[in-house]
Amino acid sequence: MRLPLLVSVGVLLVALLPSPPCRALLSRGPIPGARQASQHAQPLSFFQPPPQPQEPQALPTLLRVGEEYFLRLGNLDETRAAPLSPAASPLASRSNSRLSPDKVAANFFRALLQPRRPLDSPAGPAERGTENALGSRQEAPAARKRRSQEPPISLDLTFHLLREVLEMTKADQLAQQAHSNRKLLDIAGK
Amino acid sequence: MAPTFKLQSHFVLICLLALRGESRYLELREAVDPDPFARFSGGASPKRELEEEPLYRRALRCVDMLSLQGQFTFTADRPQLHCATFFIAEPEEFITIRYDLVSIDCQRGDILQVFDGWILKGEKFPSSQDHPLPTTERYIDFCESGLSRRSIRSSQNVAMIFFRIHEPGNGFTITMMTDPNLFPCNIISQTPNGRFTLVVPHLHRNCSFSIIYPVAIKISDLTLGHLNGLQLKKSSAGCGGIGDFVELLGGTGLDPSKMLLLADLCYPLRGPAQMKVGCDHTVVRMVSSGKHINRVTFEYRQLEPYELENPNGNSIQEFCLSTL
Repeated sequence: MRLPLLVSVGVLLVALLPSPPCRALLSRGPIPGARQASQHAQPLSFFQPPPQPQEPQALPTLLRVGEEYFLRLGNLDETRAAPLSPAASPLASRSNSRLSPDKVAANFFRALLQPRRPLDSPAGPAERGTENALGSRQEAPAARKRRSQEPPISLDLTFHLLREVLEMTKADQLAQQAHSNRKLLDIAGK
Repeated sequence: MAPTFKLQSHFVLICLLALRGESRYLELREAVDPDPFARFSGGASPKRELEEEPLYRRALRCVDMLSLQGQFTFTADRPQLHCATFFIAEPEEFITIRYDLVSIDCQRGDILQVFDGWILKGEKFPSSQDHPLPTTERYIDFCESGLSRRSIRSSQNVAMIFFRIHEPGNGFTITMMTDPNLFPCNIISQTPNGRFTLVVPHLHRNCSFSIIYPVAIKISDLTLGHLNGLQLKKSSAGCGGIGDFVELLGGTGLDPSKMLLLADLCYPLRGPAQMKVGCDHTVVRMVSSGKHINRVTFEYRQLEPYELENPNGNSIQEFCLSTL
């Protein structure tokens, strides 16, 4: 009598005990699908001391998922987009590894569909019509309300162009330095 | 000695002592600010003359970047609907933007907004998690606030303005000024090469150092106040997002919260640690609880093209798009 009772209790305990949370692991070895050159790469977690021999050489879930995420992102603008995988992670936060695959995929879709109004998108015809219908006295408050409801303004500039623009500041700095040097020489020559 | 003579001598002594103190002040002042040219230029100092130079001025382009203090004017020669100016200062500086003159037609749809940070393709730096203000408060719209907020100071070394002007001839003039920032947090580097020490002293905040280039980064010093050389964490777990730690992030967007975690450090280093990050954007981010003084020192250099084509060693290029 006692034995079946103990067995039942044991089964219940095993079923109800919480499982340890999933955590991102840093790499201990080569990543599948990586180029041959990277097979000789040092482990990505080079900051960590060398792993003990008895530790399992587990592959990093986060880094694998990250690789798939960036591949997907790279194909978004191409005609042949790779099918989205439930394993893709938005990597919006460091706690992604704790999200279930379905939730991760849902977040990824949400990120894709999030409206973002670039600076070059003109006001829609509905907005223009609404504005014309209002009296002149109400134009300013209506424009202000519409402005506050618009999504934040952003500029669609690539990093390459951003670096080009950043290079412009060096020309300014050189010009300013040349001007200061010229002025200093003029003063010294007086 | 006669009392009158005593009083006079005391008075003379007091005057001498007072003058001696004043002359000492003049000596110190000259020692602090030596001017070898003063005796040759009839008293005028070249340093003083340079400081009295008029403000640097130039015209703004539709898409522009400014790193110098000065006065900048934009005048539309035709309708300009998609314009922005990026501001970037030294890491240890804040930026102040002051409206000197504004001539725009808000009712017609002209826009003039200052953003506290940089925003590209909807991604912000600093991220929403790391900035003290909510996103809506990071935009200061001239058409809403007018000149009531004539001077706007950034929370870090970067800022930007967006503007849209329909009518040719309209425009604005702004002045950019910089102020020192004793404990910089959230920095974008102006250069692809450099060295920096990020210090977060007893502050509960997360600070990011951003490099918008593919770089090799070498962390040479890490001090997290709660750990010393005897307290080494086990290698299996990682930092787990708890306590104070440093993250190395890489990605293709501007927002650090959307970037890939490449490595995290939560214990002292035994020596310099180097990693090559072949991403468009690399960030060193320090997460601080506020209980300790945390410090990380690192050097970075831009990766050469051959390093991007043939990654080896500690390389993370395969995790970023090959758009370089």
